[in-house]
Amino acid sequence: MTRLIEQQLRARAHDLLAGGAVDLFLGYRQGSSPLRVAPFVARAPAEAEKLVWNPLCVPNLAGALRKHAGRRVGLALKACDARSVAELLRLRQLAREQFYIVGVVCHGMADPAQVAASVSGPVSGLVEDGAELLISAGDEVARRRLPALLLAKCAACASPTPELYDELLGEALPAAGAPPADRFAAVRSFEALDPSARLAFWREQFSRCTLCYACQTVCPLCFCKQCPLTLARDDPRRQTREPVSVFAYHLMRAYHLADHCTGCDECERVCPEDIPLSLIYRKLELERQEPQA
Amino acid sequence: MSEPFEPRILGLLCSWCAYGGADTAGVSRFQYPANIRIVRVMCSGRVDPLFVARAFEQGADGVLVAGCHPGDCHYVSGNAFAEQRFARFGRLLDFFGIDRRRLRLAWVSASEGARFAAVVSEMTEELRALGPLRMQVP
Repeated sequence: MTRLIEQQLRARAHDLLAGGAVDLFLGYRQGSSPLRVAPFVARAPAEAEKLVWNPLCVPNLAGALRKHAGRRVGLALKACDARSVAELLRLRQLAREQFYIVGVVCHGMADPAQVAASVSGPVSGLVEDGAELLISAGDEVARRRLPALLLAKCAACASPTPELYDELLGEALPAAGAPPADRFAAVRSFEALDPSARLAFWREQFSRCTLCYACQTVCPLCFCKQCPLTLARDDPRRQTREPVSVFAYHLMRAYHLADHCTGCDECERVCPEDIPLSLIYRKLELERQEPQA
Repeated sequence: MSEPFEPRILGLLCSWCAYGGADTAGVSRFQYPANIRIVRVMCSGRVDPLFVARAFEQGADGVLVAGCHPGDCHYVSGNAFAEQRFARFGRLLDFFGIDRRRLRLAWVSASEGARFAAVVSEMTEELRALGPLRMQVP
């Protein structure tokens, strides 16, 4: 199905660019390996052919939009990215009339780590065949059903259709199979631990943090020009990765995003140390759903 | 070697009420523990949770934010903002495993010297029972 969406997307991007409705079209192109895609800006109708759409188009495009302020931008949005864009619009960081949004119905994205684990060698090709993915590594070919390979956030996603679009590609299939997993199961079981165990857990996790600030760079909702939490390069606390400063950074980042985080989990995806940041941001989501007295 | 644990408390007191309250406590010679180090701020609504996080980072065992009673704020609604923001921040602290009682919000008017002394004594006792936070020890 993504093959069809890809064709439609290229055709729409081509027409929009050729007709002058947009100055540029933002989507994905094939990345440096079959398991990677990269955000891509098509600036001419001919470049629309480079756009791709497959179950690996995970990166959130919302963060790239502010760079293109003042230009007319067409873009392809999944449901989770559309939530980020909607939040940026609510915060008046973007102007709605600037965008032509092609919404794409998304039935979940595959976890590259699980795809890679399906075959023995390095993955050389990935093709979608109906509801299955054909993963090839050299001569070896593995067939896997997409629902078995989903990212955790996609397995728990309730809405395949974006809430914000000018036109929609793809069809929302009736929910087949298992209902979405409980988004908050991990948060609830974590909160059942006693405080000292929670503190020990976060200390352990944050001890790996190198303060690279990738989580902040990638976050579409981190739009402040200057961040009071970022330590300067020559700050001794940053150079020594002072554990308590790392702790304060993550605590304050959670506080600053308490109202804004849309749960795209990009921070966790880009974290080079695999710190389970999504746990924090699920907690914020839970807080907003269940306002406490 | 084993000295009794003395908690270090940072007090962020609003200039119009709580700081006046602390002054009254001093002038009227009410006794309260010397564990608190006071910083005067213009309003409890001025206190960014970042100050609290940095205080814990620098070795405080507890933080007291004190301002005017609800409705008495010199800037009309600063204390209401403070209350909202620290309720949320307290829940986050809890999630990260820092006991919520280490951050206390209190309303003390400029005439309530006795109340200020009571708040500080109570908080010091509570923190003694909780023990040191030891954020700085790896």
